[in-house]
Amino acid sequence: MGLQTPRGVKDFLPEEAIWKQQIEGRLRDVFMHWGYQEVVTPTFEFYDTLDLGETTTEQTYRFLGRDGELLALRSDLTTPIARMVATRLKDLEKPLRLSYLANVFRYDEVQVGFQREFFQAGVELIGSTQPAADAEGIALAVEAFKAMGVQNFCVDIGQVQYLQGIMEECGCPTIMNQVRQVLIHQDFVGLKAILAQSNIDQDIKRILLDLPQLRGKADVFDRALALTHNDRAKQAVENLQSIYAVLEGYGVTDHIHIDFGMVKSLDYYTGMILEGYTPNLGSTLCSGGRYDNLSSKFGQPLPAVGFALGLERLMLVLERQGLRPADQGETYLVLPRHWPNALAHAQTLRQQGHRVEVDVQGLGVDEAVVYAKAKGISFVILVEDTDEKTVYRQE
Amino acid sequence: MLSIAVSKGRLLDSFAEILEKAQYPCDVLQEETRKLVVESSQAGLRFILAKPADVPTYVEYGAADLGVVGKDTLAEADKNVAELLDLDYGRCTMIVAVPQSLGITDVSELDFNSRVASKYPGIATEFFNRKGIQVEVIPLHGSIELGPLIGLSEAIVDITETGRTLVENGLVVIDSIMESTSRLVANRVSLKVKRQEITNLVNAIEGVL
Repeated sequence: MGLQTPRGVKDFLPEEAIWKQQIEGRLRDVFMHWGYQEVVTPTFEFYDTLDLGETTTEQTYRFLGRDGELLALRSDLTTPIARMVATRLKDLEKPLRLSYLANVFRYDEVQVGFQREFFQAGVELIGSTQPAADAEGIALAVEAFKAMGVQNFCVDIGQVQYLQGIMEECGCPTIMNQVRQVLIHQDFVGLKAILAQSNIDQDIKRILLDLPQLRGKADVFDRALALTHNDRAKQAVENLQSIYAVLEGYGVTDHIHIDFGMVKSLDYYTGMILEGYTPNLGSTLCSGGRYDNLSSKFGQPLPAVGFALGLERLMLVLERQGLRPADQGETYLVLPRHWPNALAHAQTLRQQGHRVEVDVQGLGVDEAVVYAKAKGISFVILVEDTDEKTVYRQE
Repeated sequence: MLSIAVSKGRLLDSFAEILEKAQYPCDVLQEETRKLVVESSQAGLRFILAKPADVPTYVEYGAADLGVVGKDTLAEADKNVAELLDLDYGRCTMIVAVPQSLGITDVSELDFNSRVASKYPGIATEFFNRKGIQVEVIPLHGSIELGPLIGLSEAIVDITETGRTLVENGLVVIDSIMESTSRLVANRVSLKVKRQEITNLVNAIEGVL
């Protein structure tokens, strides 16, 4: 074994680490100002507990504890938070607003901005079925992108019950499942083949084939309603309409597209679903929706809505949009020729908000300048017993 | 402007023909060139000339909005891309073949000592797993028929159009895994961001298929 790191993990070197921290700070700020409280869940838990959330897959990292118990690294925060809410927070007044910034683990093929360990920021609003709660989740996603300065982003919203309503009309579970699978993979060639071979109603076939067209602005609602008589599907449209009405109040509809053709691979969504993206990245930036049945698996039926965004993907987009902050502020190197004075001077500069290194190597002035140039330090200050002078200034 | 990842060769000519019929002029594809990116401003298309096996990757990462690639390659790559159209050319079949001399007529006669050479190790492995047959899949990059000839493997999984190469090498088909044709695929985000452009192109192509 060499000194490499395994596939799927990476180091954040100082420049990336500080930038990541700034991004996290800004997101934390946004979440806090919307009344969300940050929580931290364990990095690993009992496999069976995470499995209750049905988010465990072949990609879940599993391992044995010393007593032989099966453990798993978290692959998202939604399930651990649902467990936390159903147990330790069960007596708190609802709704609860919780947020997190955490690393998650998936033994997946390494993808765009998704290593096997990656960082997520997200929120969960737990204990409300109201469209206003869905709208808050969506508006907060928009707000997070805005706070980060992301350009040209969009958030698509859909409703899983629409497709489910239409599919229950066709009555055949086998075909329903096949159709769902090809829609998840957006395999429209496969969809046509399945529909051509099946004997389901012509109207339903037409809706399923037209599904990709059910995307756009508010006009989509009427088109989606006109296509079906199914009550469940109609209620889904009305639900998304109510959510959209609240979003108009938030003033964020410029960033919103409605898409009834959106299908998620996760089974646990029960209502509104959302996906955020920009033209600069070939994959989604954030993802989420309503999941009303998850916490009942932990014994406390609580409706909930939430989203998570991928931090590395966000960083990739910001970099591609030229929004990576260049300068990290002024830095000082103090050369102590008189220690008490030098340390006092360094302290003053720190209080003014600067970043200050005090030389511990006993560098001469020339050596100090070489060091400062190599590290991009802005000022070198020589502090003697009677005075201090700037012996180097970055050009 | 839409970017399309395509692979050079005979299949590209078929695609160029379809585009011409669909009123997307693309003379640039006929020119002899070593360029890897060519553009038709008239059609609003930029072509990225890639290796076939790389097309799904370019599209998944969004380096190209669209791609043209055989279903065989697409299934092997198992990438997260949207499959928009069956272009209905480049038809071939993915088959399991063995040397005639082996006297095997059904895949179930292959035992756990059998080795299967293939350019499609993913598809081959999946196929035999599904059948519950234990074999050792040997990934190769070309001239798969060579495998049984020189004793590297008992069977092969490969694509064939007419079956002639198989016959010439004394191989017989004992099963077929899938039919393949060229497909138009799209990046999932491009499908949202450039929906109108993509829909126009898809409709135009569908109209002439």
